[in-house]
Amino acid sequence: MDRHIRKVYVPMTETGFYILLCLREEAHGYSIVKRTEQLTQGQVKISPGTLYGSLSKMEKDGLIKFVREEEKRKIYCITELGTQVLDLEMKRIERLYKSMKEAT
Amino acid sequence: MKKLKTELRFFSISAWKKEEKYLRDQHKNGWEFIGVNGLCLYHFQKCEPKDMVYQLDYNPDSTSQQSEYIQMFRDCGWEYLQNYVGYSYFRKAASEMDGTEEEIFCDDASRLDMMKRVFIGRMIPLLSIFLLVIIPQIIMQSRINDPFNHSLMVFFCILFVLYLGIFISFAIPFWKYYKAVHKK
Repeated sequence: MDRHIRKVYVPMTETGFYILLCLREEAHGYSIVKRTEQLTQGQVKISPGTLYGSLSKMEKDGLIKFVREEEKRKIYCITELGTQVLDLEMKRIERLYKSMKEAT
Repeated sequence: MKKLKTELRFFSISAWKKEEKYLRDQHKNGWEFIGVNGLCLYHFQKCEPKDMVYQLDYNPDSTSQQSEYIQMFRDCGWEYLQNYVGYSYFRKAASEMDGTEEEIFCDDASRLDMMKRVFIGRMIPLLSIFLLVIIPQIIMQSRINDPFNHSLMVFFCILFVLYLGIFISFAIPFWKYYKAVHKK
């Protein structure tokens, strides 16, 4: 993993995290929005401008890859690099959570 | 035949928030936006007053995949209206937003990304004119002692102030988002 990827994605935005989390299975943009709403009981709503920008950036940086197109919707999937970044982020969040529990 | 009206409105490059509010206010007053063309001519038609949220995105990359881009917004309930000098216009009724004010961007990182795209697409050309034409002209004209050159110099000084205003009105929100994103 090069420095650029580390600088931009570790830590990453909440939207970025949910995109990678959802793309462990093939999915298109709107299903990421729906799945995220489900996972967070409607507390995290991803907006389309943010989603479109994040997907383009992540595809360019090689974190996700385009699989195929269905009814004008592009279907993406996480890559090996994306999985590595997601793992780093999950470890970071676990550490945060543990520290939070220990400190209170 | 519906009643129509056209308004001439100038919004500076970084003033899309003002433009969104202008379109929303028009709709609240019973004027539905039907399009903008030419030199900032805004067209409206009479409608039932309604709270309609208007949003602008600047994404020149999306023109190569226009239909996927529009589909993603449509899936999220945003109606695509048109493209005008690189800006895409969207709207969604406030009544469809279950209480919260929705925007097409949900975090500062993506708002900053939009400003970066505007900077590359719209501000760099202006900065080039500013540095390569306006400033050299002010220096050149001030060296020639002649009424004609003096009035030229005044003209370029006015442009200088105008451009400076545009840069500052862009830099302030840019800096705000930049700080919000990079405070970590």
